[in-house]
Amino acid sequence: MTSDNDRRRGLLARLRGRPGAPSRGRRRLGAAVRLVAALMLAGGAYTVLAPGAAAQENPPLSTAAADGKALFDVSCLTCHGSNAQGVEGRGPSLIGVGAASVEFQVSTGRMPMARQEAQAARKPVVFTRDEIDQLAAYVQELGGGPVVPSGENLHADGNVALGGELFRINCSQCHAFSGGGGALSSGKYAPSLGPATDRQIYSAMLSGPQNMPVFGDNQITPEQKADIIAYIQQTLNNDGDPGGFFNLGRYGPSTEGVAIFLVGIVALVFASLWIAGKS
Amino acid sequence: MSSQTGQPALSDGEPLDVNDPRLSRFDIVREGARRDDIEIVHYEPQVVAGTKAERRLVRTVAAFFLLTGLAATAFLVIYIWWPWEYEPGRGGDKFYTPLLGVTLGIALLAVGFGILTWGKKLLPKEVSIQDRHEGAVPAEDRRITGETMAYMAEELGVKRRPLLGVSLLAGLLPVGAVAAAPLVGGLISDPHKDNQMMTTGFAPRDGQKIRLVREDGRPIRPADISAGGQITVFPGVEHGVSNRYADSPTLLIHLREEDAEASRRNNEREGHGGYMWGNYAAYSKICTHAGCPASLYEQQTNRLLCPCHQSQFLITDNAKPIFGPASRRLPQLPIEVDAEGYFVATSDYTEPVGPDFWERP
Amino acid sequence: MKRRKFDVAAVPGNTARAVDDRFQVATPLRRLLNKVFPDHWSFLLGEIALFSFIVLLLTGVFLTFFFEPTMTEVIYNGSYAPLRGTPMSAAYASTLDISFDVRGGLIMRQMHHWSALLFMAAIVVHMLRVFFTGAFRKPRETNWIIGSLLFWVGFLAGFTGYSLPDDGLSGTGLRIASAIMLSIPVIGSWVTAAVFDGEFPGTIIISRFYIAHVLLVPGLLVALISAHLGLVFKQKHTQWPGPGRTNGNVVGERMFPRYAIKQGGFFMVVFGVIALMGGLFQINPVWLFGPYEAWVVSAASQPDWYVMFLDGSTRLMPDWEINIPIGDGYVIPPLFWPTVVLPGILVGISLLYPFMEARHLKDYRSHNLLQRPRDVPFRTGLGVMAITFFLILTLTGANDVIADKFHISLNAMTWAGRIGLLLLPPLAYYVTYRICLGLQQHDREVLAHGVETGIIRRLPDGRFVEVHQPLSAGKEHGELEYVGWVVPKKMNRLGALGPAIRGFFYPIEKPAEAPVSPGHPPVEPRPDREEITSGENRP
Repeated sequence: MTSDNDRRRGLLARLRGRPGAPSRGRRRLGAAVRLVAALMLAGGAYTVLAPGAAAQENPPLSTAAADGKALFDVSCLTCHGSNAQGVEGRGPSLIGVGAASVEFQVSTGRMPMARQEAQAARKPVVFTRDEIDQLAAYVQELGGGPVVPSGENLHADGNVALGGELFRINCSQCHAFSGGGGALSSGKYAPSLGPATDRQIYSAMLSGPQNMPVFGDNQITPEQKADIIAYIQQTLNNDGDPGGFFNLGRYGPSTEGVAIFLVGIVALVFASLWIAGKS
Repeated sequence: MSSQTGQPALSDGEPLDVNDPRLSRFDIVREGARRDDIEIVHYEPQVVAGTKAERRLVRTVAAFFLLTGLAATAFLVIYIWWPWEYEPGRGGDKFYTPLLGVTLGIALLAVGFGILTWGKKLLPKEVSIQDRHEGAVPAEDRRITGETMAYMAEELGVKRRPLLGVSLLAGLLPVGAVAAAPLVGGLISDPHKDNQMMTTGFAPRDGQKIRLVREDGRPIRPADISAGGQITVFPGVEHGVSNRYADSPTLLIHLREEDAEASRRNNEREGHGGYMWGNYAAYSKICTHAGCPASLYEQQTNRLLCPCHQSQFLITDNAKPIFGPASRRLPQLPIEVDAEGYFVATSDYTEPVGPDFWERP
Repeated sequence: MKRRKFDVAAVPGNTARAVDDRFQVATPLRRLLNKVFPDHWSFLLGEIALFSFIVLLLTGVFLTFFFEPTMTEVIYNGSYAPLRGTPMSAAYASTLDISFDVRGGLIMRQMHHWSALLFMAAIVVHMLRVFFTGAFRKPRETNWIIGSLLFWVGFLAGFTGYSLPDDGLSGTGLRIASAIMLSIPVIGSWVTAAVFDGEFPGTIIISRFYIAHVLLVPGLLVALISAHLGLVFKQKHTQWPGPGRTNGNVVGERMFPRYAIKQGGFFMVVFGVIALMGGLFQINPVWLFGPYEAWVVSAASQPDWYVMFLDGSTRLMPDWEINIPIGDGYVIPPLFWPTVVLPGILVGISLLYPFMEARHLKDYRSHNLLQRPRDVPFRTGLGVMAITFFLILTLTGANDVIADKFHISLNAMTWAGRIGLLLLPPLAYYVTYRICLGLQQHDREVLAHGVETGIIRRLPDGRFVEVHQPLSAGKEHGELEYVGWVVPKKMNRLGALGPAIRGFFYPIEKPAEAPVSPGHPPVEPRPDREEITSGENRP
């Protein structure tokens, strides 16, 4: 999860890299992000400067959306094309995906993508809160679509018990009872809900990112969404484990089986070595 | 028991007189072992009485036992006074079980290690040898037992009086059956009663088509599901949303336009033309492999994954199994929209839902 | 009336006399107290299973006071807020009550579950010890069969117990169990309907599993365990070869006092480890799973570890369905082979192995001395092959968790499992066989040429050779014969160098001793009572 500090520092600071020299893998990833961003920057700059590239006949954009368009043209245009109409084989059209989709993809760092792969993974966020809002405004004004309500806490009056029932019917098959995520076919996966914010869960339900089905407000009402988010945040993410200091990742019997051999059997074999080993 | 006077010799193989006052208690123990064919060949104290080593070991063992008392007391104190009732969050109640476990564990481990140290370090080392006496039953004994049994069988005279044997058998067999009958008869239940394996809650009742409803019983309009969405639906009958209709849960999927077209084409080929309504298709949520809810729907690839054994079904190809152990398509529920605009099942599933079985048509 | 002085010191003696007058126990009791048990760490593995079974009984009885084994639907109204108001079975509600509303109930539940896992794990580890050392050979085939049955009956106990809470995860397991019964040709649907009283899940299965779990299966377990221990007692424990140990004797400690004290202490240690695990490691958090509902499932649905190999075999099975075109047509579903036929074969093999091996080797003599795994390469190879087979299936049972956490494609995991299941066990057999031969050869080499001293000597012609310390006093090498026990391979084991660092696994040896079993001082038996050979007379 990105700290507030990161968010405030903005794009350029992020592109320059994080202080405190992270791990090698992180650094390599950072390098990849920087490279892609630089390429996008160059491409974007070309597009902006090239004459007649931008369509003129669209209705005028609001200020926020105009700012968003500027960001879009710099960072997203390579894959999603000019005016977000999509580029065959690289990125889908964003017309009609709505602000919710932008909210989810950008605030979890999935977009901009580092490289094309089976499934975009959560990674450090590139844009600030304001920039995300601007991008969202731009995409929203392009073609409409679902919008996440404002505010950071979207589960204030959620009912965990109702949310739990809805979670088990609609979410647990992929994200697991514990919200820890799970495998899908051929390398795809449902991510862990641990690091997700209220807005991200909400926007994911609204927009159905990647292979996740869409749970629009027509199917799961905003109140029910608040219930689900309350269950995820309060019960799954913030309720401690009453059964012990180690929850074994809540993976169920698979890690319990490992534990009984690595802890139970190993400890007792050592004990028997001591008992019978020497007198 | 032969009594013997004179010197209590240790190695002459003759039983000792245990009443000999010169014998030490260990001599008697050793003699007892000998009478059980056990020879204590090595018996040596590990610590000399009164030495520092002994005192240190005694202190260690005592410390273990005192630790047990301490930990057990801590267990009781925690058990009684710790705030243990569930509260949301990471409050003190989450420490209750771990603290009980740690104190109980320490108490038990300490008493265990105390006893073990006592036994291992303070008691003399010994090596004893015992005869196994294997195959020691003399051939003569075997013969006697064998002859006895044969004699008894002869006395019964079943060979000479075959009618006895036959009638006994004829009498006992039904008795055996009587013993089994109540259990088998009580347990047995016709699996084909009311055609229960072939029907689900979606079977029309009194000519009335059954609505598809949500988990809270509300019926569903097409507009309730966005493209790329799916919803678990149940038969709109009494107790339809319960385990009484464990075979009925169904996945209603709103396909995207191009997927729906492919899906319709493939349905046509499978003889399921008209099973879809618009871009909506409904497939049984119960896996045809082992009956888990196969419900991990990937809206871009249109695969449905079962989390139990990873069977994968391609929804756009009439839910054909494309990976894993499942061998049969997910049954499709024919659906339409009624006059009030709610989804109903046109008919029941046209094939049995759920895992395969021998007599499945 | 004269008051007689009460002599406290005489009480034990008088009581003992009174008891013996009536029951004549003095002689059998002496025999019991004197019984000799051999001592080796690997002989304690079975005890882990025994002791965790005792913990299972203790904690299980506690749980029965609070558990309500019915599927009556209730609305939960206990302390656990995230489930309040949810309709569920009484069984699940009472499991939640044990976890949240019975003081100390959660640790009892968790200890019960952990000791169940430990019981099964200890059985498997103990069986491996018995297998690899050849302790199942005549006269102990019966006890091997009882032990194998204990695994399968324990399996039943575990599965029935695991299903009792009627939570989302165990209900899914029960659903699969019903599908497995359904897959049996001809009688499948009748068996399922008989067990569930109609269609799955019905309303009675929890009650039926309950009585099986608390009475029938534990009763069977107690009977089998008693028979198992009785036979160990009657036939006397096997022992490792070594000085003074023959096929006809037992060398060790008498039951009282040391052996019994060690057993008592070890029971406390096992109990303590279970208590620690029950308190520190959360197991089966049923409150997260919700009540069982036929339409609810979780990613990563697995059974407990000892059932996982069946889950794995089911996942690897290709979609081969057999259709029999008679009449309306009949089906043998693919589920039948990995879940009914495979365990059937495994039960058969495990029960019959001692007889198959004896037949193969034409060895029908009694064996009370153990064999080192290296000395019987084919058996060790088979054992490792079986372990590999089991491990691949078990890992496959968790292949979705592995795929997710290590970022591997799920489909690739399945294919790796399918191919691995065919290739790796034979490979494991071959590699093990070669390793055994290599170890054997090294033993013979050391016996023939002595221990490597680490001293390098330069010969006059310039060559360097390492000086070996022969093990025998005689000049001519190679007169020592291998007797089936550890060959010392380091100088400090011979006492030629100072004792090594205080070892944990190996005792510090006294100088110039013959190799001995860990935990045994050298034995000097009385020459007139025992003829000493250096081990089993080998064919």
